[in-house]
Amino acid sequence: MPKIELKNVTKTYNEGKIVAVDNISLTIDDGEYVFLLGPTGCGKTTTLRLIAGLENPTSGKILIDGKDMSNVPPNERNMGFIFQNFEIFEHLTVLENVTFGLEIKGLPQKVIEDKAIKALKLLGLYEYKDEYPNIFGNPGLQKLGIARAIAIEPRILIMDEPLGSLDPKISQIFRYELRNLIKRLKITAIQVTHDQECAISSADKIIIMRNGKLLQMGNPFELYENPNSIFVANFLGETNFLEGFVLKLVGKEAMQVWIRMGGPKMYINNFKNKFNLDDSIVIAFRYEDVYLFHKDYDFKNSKYDWYKMNFFKATLENSRFVGTTKRFYLRLDNGDRFVSIKPGTFEENFEPGDEIICGVHQNDIFPFKRPDDLDYELSLQ
Amino acid sequence: MKQLKTKNNQNELQIPITIRIENYFSKEIFRKILDGVVIIFFIIIVIGPIFNIFSTILTNTSEIIYDIFIDPLIGNLKWQLILNALLNSFSIAAIAVIIDILISIPMSVIMTRYNFKGKKILDTILDLPMAVPTSSLGFSVMLFWMIFKIEPGYTLIILAHVIFTYPYILRNMKIVMEKTSTLYEDSARTLGASGITIFRTITLPLIKEGLIAGSILSFTRSLGETGATIIVAGLTQTAPVMIVGLRRQLELPTASFISGILILISLILLFSIKFFSRNLKFPIKKVFPKFEQFISSKSFKRVRDVFTISITIILILIPAFYIFTQINTSAISKELYGPDLKWAYLFISFMNSIKIGLLTVIVDLIFGIPLAFIIVRRKWGKFINLLDVILDVPIVIPSAALGFAIFMFWGPQQLNFLTPGFYMILFVHITFTFPYMVRPIIGVLKTWNSRVEEAAMTLGASKLTIFRKITLPNIKQGIIAGCIMVFTRSLGETGATMVVMGNVRTIPLLIVDWVEANSYNSAVFASIFTIIFSAILILFLKYITKEGKFKNA
Repeated sequence: MPKIELKNVTKTYNEGKIVAVDNISLTIDDGEYVFLLGPTGCGKTTTLRLIAGLENPTSGKILIDGKDMSNVPPNERNMGFIFQNFEIFEHLTVLENVTFGLEIKGLPQKVIEDKAIKALKLLGLYEYKDEYPNIFGNPGLQKLGIARAIAIEPRILIMDEPLGSLDPKISQIFRYELRNLIKRLKITAIQVTHDQECAISSADKIIIMRNGKLLQMGNPFELYENPNSIFVANFLGETNFLEGFVLKLVGKEAMQVWIRMGGPKMYINNFKNKFNLDDSIVIAFRYEDVYLFHKDYDFKNSKYDWYKMNFFKATLENSRFVGTTKRFYLRLDNGDRFVSIKPGTFEENFEPGDEIICGVHQNDIFPFKRPDDLDYELSLQ
Repeated sequence: MKQLKTKNNQNELQIPITIRIENYFSKEIFRKILDGVVIIFFIIIVIGPIFNIFSTILTNTSEIIYDIFIDPLIGNLKWQLILNALLNSFSIAAIAVIIDILISIPMSVIMTRYNFKGKKILDTILDLPMAVPTSSLGFSVMLFWMIFKIEPGYTLIILAHVIFTYPYILRNMKIVMEKTSTLYEDSARTLGASGITIFRTITLPLIKEGLIAGSILSFTRSLGETGATIIVAGLTQTAPVMIVGLRRQLELPTASFISGILILISLILLFSIKFFSRNLKFPIKKVFPKFEQFISSKSFKRVRDVFTISITIILILIPAFYIFTQINTSAISKELYGPDLKWAYLFISFMNSIKIGLLTVIVDLIFGIPLAFIIVRRKWGKFINLLDVILDVPIVIPSAALGFAIFMFWGPQQLNFLTPGFYMILFVHITFTFPYMVRPIIGVLKTWNSRVEEAAMTLGASKLTIFRKITLPNIKQGIIAGCIMVFTRSLGETGATMVVMGNVRTIPLLIVDWVEANSYNSAVFASIFTIIFSAILILFLKYITKEGKFKNA
């Protein structure tokens, strides 16, 4: 049932010297599982704390189910919060940690115990229920933090890196459990993470933030296929960037771009922004969207249709086998470098120094106007 | 339909009454009221008397000048006496601190870098003089040095002061030394530095702050001490003893004047220390390899250690506990059960001490916990810094001067709120013990990870519930440490109590009375009684703080 709305929310510290969250507006629908992504210090955690009421916005409003939350203290918001540093009550036993929130609600003792034990069993901590939390390492503490937050059956679950301390493999298993749990309880959930793979695989909606600003918001597929800025294209997935200028406009939906310093010419299709002739632009394409062909490849007799494909030559500098994938590091004649990823089963054998024909589909290229501070846009901070 | 369901749900909930009360009183307005009340209380009890003593001096200037400088009979003899007493106080404090530093530097090395049997016991025994009422100590010291024909006077005062100021320096040094990693010393050793060079150039700068903090505490304790001094002073006057004497003779303007001077000097000391202590540098860059290698040699080291330990034993341990050899059961019982009912006095005084101690602890707790929170949590900038400095005022001001200021402020002279007696003693004790309660709580509050409170908040707990169920259990040790410190300080205080006691006696005052009346056997009994009582308290304190360390590790 809960729907969260942020309206022009700004949070500053030190009398406005530090802007942690900069004029953010967003809506999270009932039952959505939303991820906040962004580089360290981009305001993700502050946004969570604002929603939970642990901080008050400097300006702007936070509405939950249309009700202004300005004067509602965090303890009356009925939100579960899973902290990055766990914040476990060390003076209470594992069970007491979980029953804490339930007792405050004034539930009957029987119900409290049932719910706490259910939560502990779910997280696999039941056998430690009478121990003090100091027996746990970080993964144990994190699980206890999750158990404690979900035991109170919150309407909204807020999670700050809830799987950050678990081993990568356990975290992978756990993120599906977490999603199932959230969907089963039918609660609205917001999660901050650094792990974009986790975000893309679990999220209903992803919000990308940078320097306190909201850059883009949408479902994972949308974001991946239509990044609205160089930063988002760079931040989500693995992306090549090449600089060039507009050589020819073909109607409204296609153009030809010439990569700088005598690089290849490429056609681009299906873009939203408007470009003019001779505009300096940056094009982006994913590592996995670069096709590689042997220089003697017989295109005419190929069983595939290579219509709308840009072909150009590049030299192989290096290649690496990374478990399930192979990575090829390539160089254009003008010196610009880019990368191609192929499945580990990719059979063509290229040697460093080989000349390779590369192909990128016209629809797979995102063109952006070249910003003045390209280095900043391309940095991941 | 949905509405109905939630309503039903709420009817099932039976939120415990305590939590409901806490929810109600967690409103912002109550917090603001509490903040205001606590700050007003703090400022009135600390600043009020001090401000008043200065205004008394200013309004009675002519009378004071007449009394002290141009008395028709004795001229400025009084001024000479005051000056002499002040000089005595400061020189005694300075000499005592220098002796303390000289013994405590090698001793702190022994206590932190060596391992030997009985270290823990020695540690506890060395801490004891801090908790024992100084009049018991002074009496013991006097009895011991009488063997060597050292009569009460200047030297004996120094010998007594060294004993109860020494633990303050040693303790502070030990705390910092324990925190300082031996890795620095090891790396200096790999570079070829000898033991002394390392200590002087590497360790000492690192423990500078501990040394300074300890020296300040020792200096102020020595400057303000009355109980032991009055017993071992003989004809020598120190400033606090003089205040007590003047108060007894009801020479209030003169007493105001000398209290004012002492308070002013202490305040100047406090503020200058707060501002300059960090910039103090030791001239220690130069290295004297040959000389220092010689005094770092193994044999020299052994000589030094033996020397340090024997000095500690002769100068501190034996005099402090010599009194235990003076037990003469038959004489004691004869005196105590004599016709003047000494045992009844002892019982009444002991009960007074306990009552005052406990009430002081309770009042300090009620106002001390919120004040510690204000100083640590509120973000009021400069005002908090000011509160923080003011908090140390009752520690640095000699208690006799503070006691006198309080007497002048609350007593018949000004507000006429209290008359000398039980409640005025209580008031004085609350004032000068207050920082001893607040400081340890500030300490634990600063080190405790208070983000846990936010977790409790998201689980639905109101501020007061969080305080009771989360914060209190976590800062418990600081609070207990504060309580014991306050109780022992209240139990042992003499100077301020003497100024405001009327005809009420506490244990240390009874000892002073009995020593002055030459009832040595009863005084011995009372002293031993209080020493043992305080020892139990300090052992309990040690147990508590150790427990804390264990849990945190």
